[in-house]
Amino acid sequence: MSPDRSTTAPARSTALGTGTLLKAIGTKTYVLRKRYLFNTVTQIAIIYVLFLMVWFGGKAVAPTAIADNLAGITVGFFVWVMAVRAYRALSQDLINEAQWGTLEQLYLTPFGFGRVLAVKTVVNVAESFLWGATILALLLVTTSQSLYVDVVSVVPLVALSLASAAGVGFVLGGLTLLYKRIENVFTLVQFLFVAFIAAPVEQYPLLKLLPLSLGTDLLGSVMGDGLRLWELPALDLGLLVVKATLYLVVGYVVLQRCQYRARVRGALGHY
Amino acid sequence: MTDSDPAIAVENLTKTYTERDGETVTAVDDVSLEVERGTVVGVLGPNGAGKTTAIKSILGLVVPSSGTVRVDGVDVSENPAEAYRSVGAVLEGARNVYWRLTVRENLEFFSRLHGHDSPADDRAHEEYVRTLNFEDKLDELVNDLSRGMKQKTALACTFARRTPILFLDEPTLGLDVETSRDLRRQLRELVETEDRTVVLSSHDMDTVQQLCDRVVVMNEGEIVADESVEDLIDLFRTQSYRLTVAGELSDSTRELLAERFQASDWERLDGEVEFEVLLEHGDQLYDCMDVLRDAGVTPASVRALDPDLEEAFVRIIERERAAMEGPA
Repeated sequence: MSPDRSTTAPARSTALGTGTLLKAIGTKTYVLRKRYLFNTVTQIAIIYVLFLMVWFGGKAVAPTAIADNLAGITVGFFVWVMAVRAYRALSQDLINEAQWGTLEQLYLTPFGFGRVLAVKTVVNVAESFLWGATILALLLVTTSQSLYVDVVSVVPLVALSLASAAGVGFVLGGLTLLYKRIENVFTLVQFLFVAFIAAPVEQYPLLKLLPLSLGTDLLGSVMGDGLRLWELPALDLGLLVVKATLYLVVGYVVLQRCQYRARVRGALGHY
Repeated sequence: MTDSDPAIAVENLTKTYTERDGETVTAVDDVSLEVERGTVVGVLGPNGAGKTTAIKSILGLVVPSSGTVRVDGVDVSENPAEAYRSVGAVLEGARNVYWRLTVRENLEFFSRLHGHDSPADDRAHEEYVRTLNFEDKLDELVNDLSRGMKQKTALACTFARRTPILFLDEPTLGLDVETSRDLRRQLRELVETEDRTVVLSSHDMDTVQQLCDRVVVMNEGEIVADESVEDLIDLFRTQSYRLTVAGELSDSTRELLAERFQASDWERLDGEVEFEVLLEHGDQLYDCMDVLRDAGVTPASVRALDPDLEEAFVRIIERERAAMEGPA
């Protein structure tokens, strides 16, 4: 029996269809990470070495400060690794896809370009979790410290924190489509994220509105002090949810606006 | 969407760009076009004619300045996701596929990108690569394949989306003669087997002549001819003649023939002169004979030339350029 090669309309863009899209993007990401495993391991090793430099350097310069803030530094570094990965992955994906000449193919899907990018972000955030978990394990072994890792409390807080980073990623992804070479901005944002993570939100509550700041603070309470999710201030949790939603929505709108402008310029697939 | 809707309906499509110096460039100028289901339409044009911009505007990859495009009855700008249920494309100058994945992984990815993910789809993928005659490369990285194989991978991935309408922008670009010929044959087989509507842009006249039912010629962003391949060739079939005359022709007679009948390609052979004339209509042949008679020479033979698509295309473009330049 010859295979069915009829030209049938694809599945409606239902949840089931989105599952197919998730499978497409997830499988591709997994295959590439596995195929280029050395590259993946090297990237993790570089991040680990960076932490060692911060930790040993800090201990040499200010041993008391490092010892007093070890949990905070570890949690902050854990969040920073995931946040940088989550926000930068989408922009880097768009650059790669444009360079590879596949970006316009991604646009030509019945799922819609926005949904493709949203699913890419979900995959990127999930991958960031894995990276973060790996790095966290390495940090804990290296520093011989212990942190509370209550999955029920940590995962939602990490997800909500990374949502704001992903929102920033949407904005930068949009700017990448429009202006192409903006790698210098990526580096700047990485440093800004350090500042946001270290922001003194207890002293200056307005700083809670920054991406990552409130989430990192709450994660510090959970992982450092052993609090459970439901023991955290409800107002802060509510603000975290609102913030995550706002950053994502605003980022997505900016991204869609930028991709429209890129298509007006006829430069969607250019790099 | 109904079956009576054309596969593609383009109305007054225009795309203008504003360059850095503020100058406005019209890449596509008021193009209207309908493509019936199951037909293969070739888009021809010299470099910079606006073919790729037109195709990308139809696909929504470029936002048109004005005009509407409906694919399978769906407005592309209003509902692109719905329109893309029916459309797949191989785009010029792009790799179109992932070189770091294998052929099979690419087929699975692009098939899923259109919502297809079943064992039957996997079998269809194998059938595509078998038709394109590179089934032994199914599990090789695209990066390791020759340019022809890469192009075949891009085509197979576009077919794997199982859309009824395909846009193929320069599918044989950069391929050697043999690979290009094979690909043409295989493409024809796929198109005929699956009854797809195809819009194909190519510089390769053989590809267009062999694959297409109809040809649209673009120049300076406009459609300057829209005919079946046969009609386009016929348009020039009876208008181009090679004449042989006994004796010499004076310079003034040659100039007159060149001016009135675009006489060219002069050759001198044993007391005879051969040349080609391109006439605007059949009756002009008698006028040409009169000029020769007045010059005191006798036509020894008159042979109608059968142009191929390439010649027809070149003449259309020359005619358009002459019209744009205006009378001397």
